[in-house]
Amino acid sequence: MTTETETPAAAPTAEQPPPPAARAPRRRSWLGLWFVLPFAAVYAVFMLWPMLLGLYYSFTDKSLTGRPVSWIGLENWSEAFGDAKAWDSLWNTAWFTILSTPPLVVLGLAFALLAHRARKLGWFLRLSFFAPFVIPVSVVTMVWLWMYQPAGGLINHYLGEWGLGGDRLWAFQAESMGSVVITTVWWTLGFNFLLYLAALQTIPQEVYEAADIDGANAFQKLWGITLPLLGRTTALVVVLQLIASLRIFDQYYLMAGGASNLSPENVFIQYIYNSGFVGFRVGYASALSYILFFFILLVALVQFRLMSRRED
Amino acid sequence: MTALQTRTPSSETGPRTVKRRRGRITAGTALVYFAAFFLAVLWLVPLLWALSTSFKTETEASLGQPIRWIPDEWSVEGYRVLFERGDHVMWMINSTLVSVIVTVLTLVLCVLAAYGFSRLDFPGKKVVYAVILAGIMVPQQALIIPMFDVVSALRMVDTYWGLALPQVVAPVMIFILKRFFDAIPRDYEEAARIDGAGHLRTLWSVILPLSGPILAAVGIFTFIGSWNNFLWPLLVANDPSIMTLPVGLGVVAGGYGLLYAQNMAAAVLGALPLLIVFMLFQKQIVKGVAGVGLK
Amino acid sequence: MPNHPSPPGPFSRRALLTGTAAAAGIGLAGCGSASEAFSDQTTVKQWNLLAGSDGAIMTSMHDQFMEETGTNLKATTFAWGTPFYTKLVMGASGGNAADVATIHLSRLESLSPATLLDAIELDELIDAGLDPEDFPPSIWERCFVDDRIYAVPIDTHALVNYYNRGICAEAGVLNADGTLLETHGVEEYFDLLRAVKDVTGEYGTSLDTNAGWRQFWAWYRQQDGEWTFHEDGFELDDDKAFNAIDTIYRMAEEGLCPRISDGGATAANFENGLGGLVQVGNWEITRFRAFSEANGLDFSMAEMPDFFGNRRTQGDCHSYVLPRHNSWNPEVRAATIEYVSWMLQHSFEWGAGAGHTPAYLPVTESAEYQELEPNAEYSGVVDNVQFDPKVWFAGSAARLPDEVAAVLAGVYAGNTDPEAALEGIKELAQTLVELPNPID
Repeated sequence: MTTETETPAAAPTAEQPPPPAARAPRRRSWLGLWFVLPFAAVYAVFMLWPMLLGLYYSFTDKSLTGRPVSWIGLENWSEAFGDAKAWDSLWNTAWFTILSTPPLVVLGLAFALLAHRARKLGWFLRLSFFAPFVIPVSVVTMVWLWMYQPAGGLINHYLGEWGLGGDRLWAFQAESMGSVVITTVWWTLGFNFLLYLAALQTIPQEVYEAADIDGANAFQKLWGITLPLLGRTTALVVVLQLIASLRIFDQYYLMAGGASNLSPENVFIQYIYNSGFVGFRVGYASALSYILFFFILLVALVQFRLMSRRED
Repeated sequence: MTALQTRTPSSETGPRTVKRRRGRITAGTALVYFAAFFLAVLWLVPLLWALSTSFKTETEASLGQPIRWIPDEWSVEGYRVLFERGDHVMWMINSTLVSVIVTVLTLVLCVLAAYGFSRLDFPGKKVVYAVILAGIMVPQQALIIPMFDVVSALRMVDTYWGLALPQVVAPVMIFILKRFFDAIPRDYEEAARIDGAGHLRTLWSVILPLSGPILAAVGIFTFIGSWNNFLWPLLVANDPSIMTLPVGLGVVAGGYGLLYAQNMAAAVLGALPLLIVFMLFQKQIVKGVAGVGLK
Repeated sequence: MPNHPSPPGPFSRRALLTGTAAAAGIGLAGCGSASEAFSDQTTVKQWNLLAGSDGAIMTSMHDQFMEETGTNLKATTFAWGTPFYTKLVMGASGGNAADVATIHLSRLESLSPATLLDAIELDELIDAGLDPEDFPPSIWERCFVDDRIYAVPIDTHALVNYYNRGICAEAGVLNADGTLLETHGVEEYFDLLRAVKDVTGEYGTSLDTNAGWRQFWAWYRQQDGEWTFHEDGFELDDDKAFNAIDTIYRMAEEGLCPRISDGGATAANFENGLGGLVQVGNWEITRFRAFSEANGLDFSMAEMPDFFGNRRTQGDCHSYVLPRHNSWNPEVRAATIEYVSWMLQHSFEWGAGAGHTPAYLPVTESAEYQELEPNAEYSGVVDNVQFDPKVWFAGSAARLPDEVAAVLAGVYAGNTDPEAALEGIKELAQTLVELPNPID
């Protein structure tokens, strides 16, 4: 994979104090606003306004039915903090994040290392590892539910054949989280794989040549050179992955019973969805949303710091 | 982009590769190739199994039948029924429409805004830019409840606009584009401006031609994201005739039942469009996704 | 034809809240789906939850309707229960969704008719050939909310008792004419089940242990039990509720019914003769008929047995409602009412095919229907049907029946004794009562 882009002047850029702009002091005029306005308008209607509206609703008994809204103060909030089911579902989201993040990061790196070495298979490997990422989630869950079928599904068939337990080992046990995690790893690994692959290709070959002269073996080079150089990429991948995992809804909803009927176990966004759209309680669901918002914001702040550090 | 800009001088060829081939690496390399190949095939198993099932008769596809990778009796019945019912094709058209609207609008709005932030000065610019950048940290999934209410008040539930517009809000794209534009030396534009070109003209004839790769990257990333978006279309497309492919497949029960061959035919057809696009434009897509992802 | 405006209250307030954004949106709102743009026929969009075997009957009726009237009917079946009701409500709150939907009449009030449904004018119905006199009064009354008509019922469906003639004859529990012996009281019916169990070697009756609410409510109501809800609590007759639960418990304990059996297994148990009877909804008739044609199964149907002095049973009505529209196209509105009327007037097929008892009296009172077998044998269910309690979290697929059924599944399984189950049910009911009511 060659990754040149025709950026003129690959030089460090961004907002350093005396950029070329200083040469031609620009007039402050309203013209620029017109360029920004279309996006700003959409942004205001579909981002800022919902944020404010949600905050307002969280202090009301707003209902999906559209009946008149009345202010109920902190009732939703105090109910949310005492709602055991809400915290259970938040824990399910956290548990999913804990289970899915390590394999997604470690395997993403491992696959990228392999693909980086096995260059002759490049096209095939990129196709195979990344293709699942472009497949719609409902297709992914349809295929995996078919493979997970307890009796006669592909996975249990081979597990049985290889003497690994067989019937009903994986799917639809009381704990469906494992199935969802495996499916997710298959589905989204390709993204992390690509990020690592792109990062690997930026490591100059000369670094390894120096190590070759010192007689370093492959493992020493991996531990001593490659991994340290991937440090920043890893931080980025982990943060992106955490944010993605905390947002788990689609696969869980489609696989763990949400799409058929109310499942007793929820992930957090599903609980918000159920409170607001199944139970009509928009006000309460808004309060729950802000709790999720808070947790994701914590991780996103880390991401933001990473991003701005790249600016330097 | 920094990760992508430095092109490594040698990778495919060069003297070292030759040396390596002769040296002690052979066994290791063989192992790497074997492992990579094995994993790649393993990764394809779900898709191959879906493909295989989709060409079976319902009887052969049903549970309890022996696992056969090559159908005993080939059948396209599942596909035929899908095309006859027609909703699958309708959903695919809807997905394409929505993704194209989202991608085009994102590109147009974000390029304009990024240019404004990069090249023009206007009152309140810093504040507006900061407010938009802060949006990068806002998870849209946490906004579904009030967002639905807003879209509902705008009477856009079950319309293409209701599906598309909320997905256009991608502040990270402005950040990426602005940084790219900032790196383009002003000299190029000076000439155009001396010729009396306005800002739109400068943007169109100077900046955009230099921005091909980054526009492709943003466009591809947006398109894939929109094509596979599930949660928002699930909320806002209740009418099956307006549903996108992921939602229609996930929600409408109509007749799928336990017909596995038909089910897998739907899965294969659902996976196909972007898979084909991916195979055709792999290089650009890989570059685009890595480019935006690494921001 | 009223071009029905949406209720002024909620929309204008919401428009105010969204301020100028609402104004901006009006230009974009008229964007329909691509598929509609290519058709010049009048299209009526119908949503339903009939994912079972009655759905097939409905589809064939729809084909006939389209052929006769030239109206293009687009029906969509969603997964039964919560997914369907969620889509219905979200679509209605958006105002661009289905023209007509089938719901359970017991859910009418929980759908907040004033804000999420469009009322139906009496004149429209009369113009389309329907008359209030054509419906059983007890059902017709339930279609009104705040003195406006919001629903038009198409059928009554209920829990009934199917029996396998061969097995029951062998067990000696049939009358000379081949109908099931009438029993009185729990003990007599248990004796009947014991006799059948001796023949099958497995169960007396099959039933759905995940849907225990239906049995509970039927047997509780047979004792005249009432369950009323008020602001901060409810009145439940503990003794009667205990009797109903205890009946479930003893039936499973003695092996007269399965300990665990989901919907599919329940029907299969009856088909393959593991149970000589099955207590399940009349809608399963299509499935058993198909099985009978393929494999031979001599069966008939009777009403819910008398456990506590009468034959009351749990049931509901499928009914048509009009989800709220931002604006009605007069042609579509007329075609929609025409569709409802057509389906009712042709509901003989609905009864004959799907086993439901039509709500439209000219059909049920026709000689043709009176002779229909086995429908005639359980025609009494219309008088005996018991609707779920009137409270916003009750009704088919709502939280109360779902959660009570979950407790009762434990009773069937033998994990929960009747005392504990009653406590559990009272606890969950209290939790539900304490939820803020999002409807009114």
